[in-house]
Amino acid sequence: METLSIAMISDFFHPAVGGVENHIYMLSANLLRKGHKVIVITHSHPQGRVGIRWLLPCLKVYYIPFLPIASSATLPNFFTSLPYLRTILLREHIHLIHAHASLSSIGHEGILHSHLMGIRTVFTDHSLFGFDDAASILTNKLMVGTLKNVDAVICVSHTGRENTVLRGQLFDRDSEDPSKLVVRSNIYVIPNAIVAEHFKPCPQPPSDTITIVVLSRLAYRKGIDLLVATAPRICALFPNVNFVVGGDGPKLIDLLQMREKHLLQDRIELLGPVRPGDVLSVLSRGSIFMNTSLTESFGIAILEAACAGLYVVSTRVGGVPEILPEDMISFAEPEEDDVVRAISEAIFIVSQGKHDPLQAHERMKTFYDWDQVTARTEVVYHTVMRSKQIELWERMQSTMALGPFAGPIYTIILIVDCIFFLFLEWWFPREDLDFVHDHWDPKVFAEVGLLFSRSSFTGDFICFCVARKR
Amino acid sequence: MNEARPEPWSRVLWKTQPFSDNHIPPKLFLVSLQRNPNLEPYSYWRLVHASCAVTQHLSTIYFFLAVFIRLKENQLDPRTLVYISVGCFLAGYFTWNVLDSAEPSSERNANHLKALKSSIMMFLALMSLSPVLRTLSAATSSDSIWALAAILFILNALLANYTASKSGGQIRDRLTSVLSMNAAVSASVVLASRLCTDVAVFALALFSVQAFALFPMLRQRLQTSLVAVWLFLTMFMAASAVYLLASLSQIVMWLGLFMLFFITLIAPIILIWAQRYKNIIRGPWDVAVPKVN
Repeated sequence: METLSIAMISDFFHPAVGGVENHIYMLSANLLRKGHKVIVITHSHPQGRVGIRWLLPCLKVYYIPFLPIASSATLPNFFTSLPYLRTILLREHIHLIHAHASLSSIGHEGILHSHLMGIRTVFTDHSLFGFDDAASILTNKLMVGTLKNVDAVICVSHTGRENTVLRGQLFDRDSEDPSKLVVRSNIYVIPNAIVAEHFKPCPQPPSDTITIVVLSRLAYRKGIDLLVATAPRICALFPNVNFVVGGDGPKLIDLLQMREKHLLQDRIELLGPVRPGDVLSVLSRGSIFMNTSLTESFGIAILEAACAGLYVVSTRVGGVPEILPEDMISFAEPEEDDVVRAISEAIFIVSQGKHDPLQAHERMKTFYDWDQVTARTEVVYHTVMRSKQIELWERMQSTMALGPFAGPIYTIILIVDCIFFLFLEWWFPREDLDFVHDHWDPKVFAEVGLLFSRSSFTGDFICFCVARKR
Repeated sequence: MNEARPEPWSRVLWKTQPFSDNHIPPKLFLVSLQRNPNLEPYSYWRLVHASCAVTQHLSTIYFFLAVFIRLKENQLDPRTLVYISVGCFLAGYFTWNVLDSAEPSSERNANHLKALKSSIMMFLALMSLSPVLRTLSAATSSDSIWALAAILFILNALLANYTASKSGGQIRDRLTSVLSMNAAVSASVVLASRLCTDVAVFALALFSVQAFALFPMLRQRLQTSLVAVWLFLTMFMAASAVYLLASLSQIVMWLGLFMLFFITLIAPIILIWAQRYKNIIRGPWDVAVPKVN
């Protein structure tokens, strides 16, 4: 298959740490290994992280000088990114952009601009949104405008896809029966993956105590209220059960108060913030992983825990029921009593020795694998490259169909964007651009990459370490 | 795998399935989508019953304004207003006690004493403050006062608590209803500063406390009592407010009448019509509400 030049665009990238950041990095590294050319475009970070940086293995990152407003997202301003993106995308000979995360406005802007240069677009949605709070309504409205004209959408779970289809109105009228709506065929489900080697179970000396590990941001959305309500009950029911809680956040105070009130200082250990490199060592202290999230689109933390050989107890929310087979996880409704029931069930399973950590690890290896995820993403890229590009007129028509108010506004944005682009073409002609020339042969690079990954110090691992180091 | 019976699609991510990634299962897609769960269609008369609270509140404001204009034009003796206020207070207090009759009598006596004490305190405080209130905004031009009072009354009407309360005892006020009451009392204070005599200022301030602090509490209790009483009270208040406005200005009277009529009888129809556009989408992606005992 032909190799592509791909630009990943998102507000969320290294040096910030998180699920989306890691996903972009791992996907890029694996695409590079397959011989594609990949660059990442993100906004700058304080202390001078601006301009071009390289990450191992030869991943070029453009930090555009935009200031993030809140939680590492930039303000949606539609036009200011065009001069930057035009130059970068043209000089790097990009065929396709891949925008990530629905709260990343730079990604949306990339989708808005790239059709001007004949570049195809793919969008990956990583999160779930409701429909009834002000933030969701605004974000959804912004997203509908972009997703009308995107070439393909990738979601990380089936629940995520249902949510994205509704939020982005990714359905058309049936050509045969206009009263029926059909979902577009360019919406894919490709899960995240984990690097199983990073989460090898460490066998613990046999003992009677069972440790329950909780690793999450201590916030309302992570269901810490449920943890606060259930932990004392579990401690009272099972004298041989201890808790290890890692993470920081606004609900830490509630946990501390609970611990003090029930005199459980020796049973519940609060670790505070845990660095990504220390996750495995925390996980390997326990045999049950407890996740009380109230919403979760994929739940990578659960997979990491399951991979490290822990039995998982989780609330049945979002995409969590899809990610593990029933015998590796116990589900609870987000209710205090049911969580206690599920934990008791898990303690029973673990104390009976019915859950083998090493076997679980081996199974996880077959479930999620970056190679497989990359291959599936490549299929999407090639399908997009083969499909017909949406014409400007068609684009304007579908944008006008957004609604009586949003439609004209987005159409005006689209037209102004075209005019701005023409102005830039005149003001800063393509001939004057400083084009990038490849210094290496992708085939040789792919071979080296393969060699590298087979060696004892895997390529992934080095990249991982570098990317996660601040 | 048997060719004749291929494995059905299942909603999991860990298994490699013989379907392409963009396969959409025809029957299973969006099965857990709920539209308008536990939707309760409105009924007209229940809405009218609920909107009566708004009507009563607006009537109170009209009432107050009419009384203020009469005081200002010296058409009403301030002393009469004081007597009326005291009478209203006693009537209201009596009604409150009738509604509260479930309470044990020992507590009730203590409560009577407390109410008596605080009402006397209020009475004296207002009386001693009235000279201050009269000159408080003397330096401000009347136009600013009218505008300020109008804004404060609008704020009062928008933020007021129109919900019914089941039992007395602890009524936990939300911030908005406290703001609402404060807006109304501030409005009456600035209006009172346009009056000429201390007695008039005192009478108006006393009346405003009755109308905007005490009456809403009683109204919330009355809303859950007999429907006939509630409707009669609404009609009586609306009619007397319109009557008081009528002698001031025909236009204002028609405007007020229209507003009361619209809110009580027409606005519910619009709400019922608008309910057909209600579209609540619920699904597994929603943030779950944790149930903690």
